Amino acid sequence: MSRFIVRRLLQLIPTLFGLSVVLFIWFNRLPGGPEFALMPENATPEQREQMREILGLDEPVAVQYMKFLGRLAEGDLGVSIASGRPVLEEFATRFPATAELAILAILIAVTLGIPLGYIAARNRGRFLDFAAIGGSLLGICTPVFFLAYIFKVIFAENLGIFPSAFRQSAGLNATNITGFAILDGLMTREWDAALDAFMHLVLPAAAVATIPLAVIVRMTRGSVLEVLSEDYVRTAEAKGLHRQTIRGRHVLRNSMLPVVTAIGYLSGQLLAGAVLTESVFAFNGIGYFIYQATQSRDYPVVMGFILIIALIYVLINTLVDISYNLLDPRVRVN
Amino acid sequence: MRRLKRSLLLPAAAAMALAMAAAGCAQSDRDGGGDASERNESDPFIFAGASNPRSMDPIYASDGETFRVSRQTTEALLRHEPGGTELEGALAEDWEHNEEGTEWTFFLRDGVTFHDGDEFNADAVCANYERWNETTGMAQSSSVMYYWNVLFDGFAENEDDDMPDSNFVGCEAEDDLTVTIEIEEYSARYPGAFSMAAMGLLSPSTIEQIPDDPVGGDSDDPSLPEYALDDTIAGTGPYELVDWDHGSEEVKLERFDDYWGDTANIREMIIKTIDDETARRQALEAGDIHGYDLVAPADVDPLADAGFNVPERDVFNVMYLAMVGDERIEDDHPDRLEEAEALADKDVRTAIAHAVDRQRIVDTILPPGGEVATQFIPDTLSGFSSDVTTYDYDPDLAREMLEDAGYEEGDLELEFCWPTDTTRPYMPAPQDIFNVVSNDLEEVGITVNENGLIWDDYIPYTEDGACSLYLLGWTGDYNETYNFLGTWFAGYKSAWRFEDDDVFDTLDAVNAEPDDEARIELYEEANEAIMDYLPGLPLSSSPPSIAFAEDIDPPTVSPLTQEDFAETSWAE
Repeated sequence: MSRFIVRRLLQLIPTLFGLSVVLFIWFNRLPGGPEFALMPENATPEQREQMREILGLDEPVAVQYMKFLGRLAEGDLGVSIASGRPVLEEFATRFPATAELAILAILIAVTLGIPLGYIAARNRGRFLDFAAIGGSLLGICTPVFFLAYIFKVIFAENLGIFPSAFRQSAGLNATNITGFAILDGLMTREWDAALDAFMHLVLPAAAVATIPLAVIVRMTRGSVLEVLSEDYVRTAEAKGLHRQTIRGRHVLRNSMLPVVTAIGYLSGQLLAGAVLTESVFAFNGIGYFIYQATQSRDYPVVMGFILIIALIYVLINTLVDISYNLLDPRVRVN
Repeated sequence: MRRLKRSLLLPAAAAMALAMAAAGCAQSDRDGGGDASERNESDPFIFAGASNPRSMDPIYASDGETFRVSRQTTEALLRHEPGGTELEGALAEDWEHNEEGTEWTFFLRDGVTFHDGDEFNADAVCANYERWNETTGMAQSSSVMYYWNVLFDGFAENEDDDMPDSNFVGCEAEDDLTVTIEIEEYSARYPGAFSMAAMGLLSPSTIEQIPDDPVGGDSDDPSLPEYALDDTIAGTGPYELVDWDHGSEEVKLERFDDYWGDTANIREMIIKTIDDETARRQALEAGDIHGYDLVAPADVDPLADAGFNVPERDVFNVMYLAMVGDERIEDDHPDRLEEAEALADKDVRTAIAHAVDRQRIVDTILPPGGEVATQFIPDTLSGFSSDVTTYDYDPDLAREMLEDAGYEEGDLELEFCWPTDTTRPYMPAPQDIFNVVSNDLEEVGITVNENGLIWDDYIPYTEDGACSLYLLGWTGDYNETYNFLGTWFAGYKSAWRFEDDDVFDTLDAVNAEPDDEARIELYEEANEAIMDYLPGLPLSSSPPSIAFAEDIDPPTVSPLTQEDFAETSWAE
């Protein structure tokens, strides 16, 4: 097991290196730069060139990349061009918001997805099955930002149930301990602040949850159908075991293995969805900040944030693989 | 089976029920920080800007969103009158200059204190100006201290040999409330420079903590100093800075009770960032904010009809259609030679001017208050001439002139560039504007080759004069016509590629003329000469719209987008 973990962690190095090269080349191929995004239109070409020189953007890409790697080796991701603050600081400030969003989205997806998938499997070929499959297909096909926009128009603008923007109401003066707004509210007993943060999370989380929910419904359904046809289920039924025991211990638990794995790679989908959804809701997480940074060609932020996200993504998948190892003895045997 | 379904759906149902119950509880807590029917001065006023401010010390900024914040917390020596474009005293009650325009004496306001208790006096003024001039290191770059570079040229000790010498000679405190700022050479930038938000004055105690070389980080990684990114600066404005929460993209300001003028009506002001204009509108409609700037033209009437306050600003910008015609383009863009030769013909440029229905742009695309531009400055500026050559919409005349110039239907092909991914206060809907102009040109027999470019490509492309026709404009920094005309027409510029001694000489003269009346006359001459030559067609001036909630009494809106939010109050 420990060898497996070490091997997985070592695989991180080429993955991140390759990603950084691709990102660097991609960003250098993008038209324009911060000298246009961050300076007035009346700035002279000389002033813009001076900005490029100061930021080292006039140097060959290879030189820029080596400098970037040199800083990265020291754990320094550079400084945001737009805000003038260290990239790591910007990430740390915003990460809890996106983490809260992702956690709630996964909770929604799992809480609704597993029962719906199970019900669809148990009602194979009937209306409930078609409804679940059709609904999940719709969920996968609908762009997240479009859904986010629709949710906002209906539930925030027209019905006024949820807020339309931000992570917390402005001027709330909530105590910040961990950066996780709901948790902080609960820890300090500022119930209003916790509730306010939760209300701000509902719509973006519902939008972000759509694709994972659809995937979990489909995977659960497929997995449950597969397990139901297994010999040991028939054996359990023949032994006269209680139906609840069969469904709970044998069917559902064994069906969950592929679903647990799916949750790992869905975290990547979640982060991609978060960029678009956070932009729609002006939700101050890492996704919204990446979006803003892309607009202003703030390449240290885009590079740094994507590398950290990639690292998190790979770590989550490593953890999922490890847990899969622990959950399913057959994997260890193989 | 039924029992099982119930047990599985229970958590989901519980979650939904919790959310709906919470929604019920939270509904009364929202609406932007309180129940709209019971507003009082302690409720925060929440305003949304379009991007994050860059620095709390305005000297490091060149963007309107930073200045929106800094104008509430810091003040310059001069300012523009509320709702207008005339300069008036701010921290200086009055001012005068010598005949050469090289010594500017300011008579300061008495009884002004900084937020940290420091006294405002002549020494404090000099401390600020000397600190700016003596800045060293990377901060000298125009990407950091843009407006110091633009308004005072250089620094006491330039880091870069190519940088011009500083135009700032010195600052002298004649007495406690009289200060003289000496400059090397008069230019039309003064006294407007003394009104710029970037020149907001900080308290001596704040200045003491600022290093001479304020920009940190290594050479490829400049970072702003800590004090510019936190909440420690002290100015003299009606609001003092309480907190800048970078994570929430929220700047919190609190009323300064010892303000020298009328204290703010609302105790707390919060400026948030929502970069999408639709999201800003939705946040206002949902009650999450109480005001926002840069309203999309299409949203103005619906918001007003829905009862929101949408006060109309006067115009202080101009949008134009540039017509780049100079055979020398062959050196840089040989493929453009034929088009440049056509546009070098004054009759062709005149035909284009008569072909475009500018009134239609104003009536159908721009927000209320938009106007057709007759020259390259808005009519709110001194130096606006009522005697310029005008070019009325007359497609028949345009066709005739093109034929006389030797161009039959479809003979003349011109590349026409427009920005695809941005809006500007003077250009709120680039694609719609492009479509109108382009259709008008096609209508008189010109073949238009469309070239839509993203903003980051558009600016260098147009700066280089690489497009025959393109749309651009400018919003003024301060009430000085040179801020418009000098930028474009003081000498040969690659963006325009035209040569006209009448225009160049007049602008040289005006830039060296400190007498106001004489300068205004010269500006009128310059406007007339430019419109005679017709290097491009001024299209329109349009007021950037701002919107407020129904229960807000808005501040006096400013054509320069310099609203004083201290005037804002909750409606009775």
